[in-house]
Amino acid sequence: MTPREETPDLISNADQQLALSSLEHDQLVHAKKYFIPRRHLKGPELLVLWALRIYLLFMMAVVVYQVWIASH
Amino acid sequence: MSVGSQPPYTKPLAARIANGGEAVVITHEDVDRAHDRVRVSAARARRGFSSRAKLLWLLVGPGVLVMLGENDGPSMLSYAATGAKFGIGFFLPFVALTFCMAIVVQEMTVRLGAATHRGHAELIFERFGPFWGWFSMVDLGIGNFLTLITEFIAIRAGLGFFGVPPWIAILIALVILYGALVSHRYWTWERITLAAAAFNLIFVPVALMTHPSWHSVGHAFITWRPLPGLNKDTLLLMLADIGATVTPWMLFFQQSATVDKGMTTKDIRFGRIDTVLGAALATAAAVATILATAPLFAHQMTADTFQAAEFAQALQPLIGRFGASLFALGMVEAGIVASITISAASAYAFGEVTHKPHSLNLPLGQGKAFYSVLTLCAVAAAAIVLIPGLPLVYVVLVVNVVAVLAMPPALVFLFMLVNDKEIMGDLVSPVWANVLSTAVVFILTAAGVLFGISIIAPNIFATLGGK
Repeated sequence: MTPREETPDLISNADQQLALSSLEHDQLVHAKKYFIPRRHLKGPELLVLWALRIYLLFMMAVVVYQVWIASH
Repeated sequence: MSVGSQPPYTKPLAARIANGGEAVVITHEDVDRAHDRVRVSAARARRGFSSRAKLLWLLVGPGVLVMLGENDGPSMLSYAATGAKFGIGFFLPFVALTFCMAIVVQEMTVRLGAATHRGHAELIFERFGPFWGWFSMVDLGIGNFLTLITEFIAIRAGLGFFGVPPWIAILIALVILYGALVSHRYWTWERITLAAAAFNLIFVPVALMTHPSWHSVGHAFITWRPLPGLNKDTLLLMLADIGATVTPWMLFFQQSATVDKGMTTKDIRFGRIDTVLGAALATAAAVATILATAPLFAHQMTADTFQAAEFAQALQPLIGRFGASLFALGMVEAGIVASITISAASAYAFGEVTHKPHSLNLPLGQGKAFYSVLTLCAVAAAAIVLIPGLPLVYVVLVVNVVAVLAMPPALVFLFMLVNDKEIMGDLVSPVWANVLSTAVVFILTAAGVLFGISIIAPNIFATLGGK
C-alpha cells in the first residue's frame, strides 16, 4: 500500500499508517469512489416496488383529504 | 489489519490497493475514525467484565440514538394522547410490540452498514439505480422536513410552558444543535447527543408521580385489555403510535451512523445490543408517557387536540408544578434530540447521493456541503414554526401517519439489500429474520389500508361494532 507523502490535509505519516492499519480497506474514504455494481431488478421485484409506490401515492392523497376535512 | 468477513464486491478493491496499484489518499475523516477503532481494538483484545463493559461503552450509540431520537416531539404527543384517550390498557403492550418491530428493522441496518461500509441512500442509488433512489430520497426528504417542523413545534410548546418566547425557544434549540457539531468529531457529537437523549427518561418520574395502578399495568401487559373500540380515532392513534417507533429516517440514520462510527462485521453483536438497549429505554419512556397522562382519561378530560404545553398544564393539578415542568422539559428534550438526529440523517443522505463528503468527522472546510444541509434543514424547519398563523396543528396530526405510510416501500428496499448476497456475503438475513421483517411490512401496510378505509368509508367501522 502506498500512502501519499503529501496530502492536502497535512496528515502525518504516523496518522496515515494508523488509518491504513486500523481501518478495513473499504472503510477508507478513498474506497467510496468505487461504485457498487448495479443490480438488475426482476419482474416480481419491480411489481412489488410499483405496487407500493402506487399505494403510497394513493394513501398520501387520503392524508391530504383527511387534513382538508379536518381544516373544514 | 482487521479485515472481517468481507462481502464479495470489495475483493477487487482490496486487491487493487494491496497490489500497490494506486496511491491511497488518507483524510482527516479516516484518521479520526482510525483513532476510534484503535480504542475498540484495544478493548476487544483484553478479557474480563470491565473490558466487555468498555467495549459496549465504545460501540453503543447509533442504536440508542435512533430509538430515543424517534421518541420525538410528535411521538411523545401521540403517547400522551393515547394515555389521555384510552388510559391503561391495550396500548401499553401495543407500544412495546411496535418497539419489537423497530428492533427487527433496525438490526438489518446495523448489518448492512457494518458489512458494506456504505450508507442506506448510497446503497439504494448504486444497487437499484437513480430512478428508485430518487423515489426513496423524496420520501425521506418530505418525511424528514415535516418531522423536523414538529420537533420545533414541540420545543416551542415545551419551553412555552415556562413562559419562554417562541423565538428564544427556537434559538436555544439551534444553539444546542450547533453545539453538538462544533467538535467536528463523530464520537463527541454522539456522546453529547446521547447525554441529551438520556433525559428522555424524564417521563419515568412523571409517571411515578401519578401513582399508577401497577395491578392494572400488569393486567394490561398480560391480557392486552381493556380493548379500545374499533373506530377512526383508535386507528389514527394506532397508526400514530406505530409511526412513533418505525419511520424511514431511522433506517437511513442508523446505517449511516454505523458507517460513520466505523463499525465492522466484528461489531455486529454489539450493534444488536445497542439497538435492543435503545429500544428498551425508548419503550420505558413511551410507556411512562402513557401512564403519565392516563389520569386525564380517569378524569374524563378531552385531550384530542392538546399540544405539549397543554398536556403539562392539564397534569399540573394532578402532579403539581414540578411534575408538570418535568413533562414540559421532556417534550423539549424529545424535540431537541430528534432535530439533531433527523437533520443528521438528511445530511448523510444528501452527501451519499451527491457523492459529497459526508461524515461528522469532517473538518468544517471539507464538509461544507454536509454541514450546510444539516444546518439548513434545521433552520428552515425552525423558521416555519415561527411564522405566525400557520396551521401547524395539522402537521403534528399527520406526521406520524405519513411516516407509517412511507415505511413499507422503504422496508422493501431494506429487505432486498439485506438479502443481497453480492453485497452482504454470509451476512444475509436468516429465514426467521425475513419472516419477521415480511410480517412487519404486512402489518404496516394493513394498518395504512385500515386507516385509509376509516377515512374514506368511516361507516364500515360503525357496522363492525365500533363507535
